[in-house]
Amino acid sequence: MKVELKIWRYDTSTGERALRPYEVDVTEEATLLDTLDAVRDRLDGSLAYRKSCRMMICGSCGMRVDGGAVLACKTRIADVVADGHVPVVSAMGNLPIVKDLVVDMDPFWQKMRAVQPYLEPRLDRATEKENVVAQEQMDMIHKESLCINCGCCVSECNSMESDPDFLGPAALAKGFRFVGDARDGATIDRLERYSEEHGIWDCTRCYFCNERCPKGVDPRDAIAKLGAEAMKAGIDRDMGARHAKWFVTSAKTTGWLRETELVPKTQGVVKAIKEIKFAMSLLPKGKIPLPFPPHVAADIGESRALFDLVTDQGRSGAAGIVQGEKALMHLAHHGESVDGPSHPYDDPRSFPKPYLPDEEPAT
Amino acid sequence: MKQVAYYKGCLASLSAKELDISTQALAPKVGYELIELESVTCCGAGDIHEAEPDYYLHLNARILSYAAATGADTLMTVCNVCTLNLRQANHQLLNDAALRERVNDNLEQVGVPRYEQDVDCVHFLWLVAGESFGKLQEVAHKGLRGLRIAPFYGCQILRPSKLMGFDDPDKPDSLERIIAACGGEAIDYPAKIKCCGFPIIQAREETALAELIQPIEQAKEAGADAMVTPCPLCHLSLDAWQSKLKKQTGKDFQMPIFHLSQLIGVAAGLEDAELRFKRHVVSMQPVLEKLAL
Ligand code: SF4
Ligand code: SF4
Ligand code: FES
Repeated sequence: MKVELKIWRYDTSTGERALRPYEVDVTEEATLLDTLDAVRDRLDGSLAYRKSCRMMICGSCGMRVDGGAVLACKTRIADVVADGHVPVVSAMGNLPIVKDLVVDMDPFWQKMRAVQPYLEPRLDRATEKENVVAQEQMDMIHKESLCINCGCCVSECNSMESDPDFLGPAALAKGFRFVGDARDGATIDRLERYSEEHGIWDCTRCYFCNERCPKGVDPRDAIAKLGAEAMKAGIDRDMGARHAKWFVTSAKTTGWLRETELVPKTQGVVKAIKEIKFAMSLLPKGKIPLPFPPHVAADIGESRALFDLVTDQGRSGAAGIVQGEKALMHLAHHGESVDGPSHPYDDPRSFPKPYLPDEEPAT
Repeated sequence: MKQVAYYKGCLASLSAKELDISTQALAPKVGYELIELESVTCCGAGDIHEAEPDYYLHLNARILSYAAATGADTLMTVCNVCTLNLRQANHQLLNDAALRERVNDNLEQVGVPRYEQDVDCVHFLWLVAGESFGKLQEVAHKGLRGLRIAPFYGCQILRPSKLMGFDDPDKPDSLERIIAACGGEAIDYPAKIKCCGFPIIQAREETALAELIQPIEQAKEAGADAMVTPCPLCHLSLDAWQSKLKKQTGKDFQMPIFHLSQLIGVAAGLEDAELRFKRHVVSMQPVLEKLAL
């Protein structure tokens, strides 16, 4: 099968960047990784990319195809080039490029390190015998344990693009892997740390991480689990946590979001007063609905009673999210391919990153 | 006329009333009789899912149950975030009998009907770009006179695609098809599938504004007369927070932002009172003048 593709090359020695076209013959079953091997072996021995296992387990071969991060060894090239499409292959985003398709994973590992990705055993429970953990307890962290540290989730993370210090989806998913581990003794400490600036509450819920992760980790869901655990533990000083809490209060009291009080409840009264000029500019447009009389949903008593009922049933915190995962497991990512407008990622502005090693990450 | 249960959500009930009003006016023209749900609450907007996930599931089950009680098999939303929250809860309930049983028992205990008859939760965009697309082409007789419109999807109508699945998450085209059917010209720009920053606009304003500026700036550079979005949260940040972008960056975009129902409504000849452009922060006047020519 003849395959055409374009690859963004970056030459470290000259600093030169170029989009180069290639054409190779590969088998029908070939993956993108096989295709790159063919390019390197037959056309250009200087092409740089990472690989090791070739079977979706080492996490080395993350790269972008048409702007979306994939594992090269998991991607069938025949699917990509269907209907004569000529894909653009480039390095992952949100990480500095070393050469061609190879990114510097250092910032990724630094963030991993920051969440302390190892068990801090509960010495208070040390026993003579081995510590047996029930299956349901391990189910709590089943998905997060599947992570292979490939970085695909980080590549298009919208919050990290705007705040390069954001811990990001992979590190936070790893964080939940330990917060949810019954054997870990540093839970509160972890939740405190992950709740700081650049942590849990930085996530803008763009869901790119869930979309990209080749292993079904669903990092955004892991972040929600961390938020749920933090709030369960009473760690809710952050504005993001207070914002979330106000929704619960609203649902219990009036049923609908009490929008106008959301700002002072999230930001605190002092900061909210600083925002008054902005708020006043929205007032005449009805964008700041008056809180009185409150807009109360019919049968609001049911909503309050439900809250009281379920809080007694012991599924608060992350368990409330984990309980729904079994049902979602069978869903495969999909979305019909269409002959739509040009691909958004063909445009270099789509994601300002990947940035080059000598460039400062844009903020 | 097909009957669908209509869940308008918080924003369309409150700060984005113009979305509700234009949707109610437009729906019959494209073939839908909306049965408005009375006894429902907020879907939780992802926040209750994070703060009290079990309560989130029950609140959404309650909405689904009241939707089913109307006898309709479709629950229509007009907000990306409501769509994701309801679809997620619905998938969980429909595919896990034990979970559904427990939730139903709880609903029953507080006097809510059990959620027995399945409903499908869909966004208005999907109805218009899908089964009613033919109707749309008939009603959009007034057209948009070649107005250059930048479609902005927002996140949660595209991702996670395993829960949403109407459009290709990386290459959506439903808004483009609607714009074209209404006689406008769809502008293409890369940030149309990215985040508007709304979820963190209060807690992390700087990060959120760095996200928000991308679609507006790119749409402006591409020569858009206006943008359109299917999500009232995106609308709120794109429209109301433009003044903050101006303050922060000195760039005054003056980019008019349509709700999807308003854009189609204009093409379908809805009255001013049904469109309520005066409720927008950024003036819609320049666009309306172009259309009046
Ligand atoms: S959902 Fe949050 S963590 Fe995931 S890619 Fe988006 S901003 Fe990043
Ligand atoms: S969460 Fe998924 S995408 Fe992110 S590093 Fe782990 S395996 Fe890769
Ligand atoms: S080569 Fe190991 S994951 Fe692709």
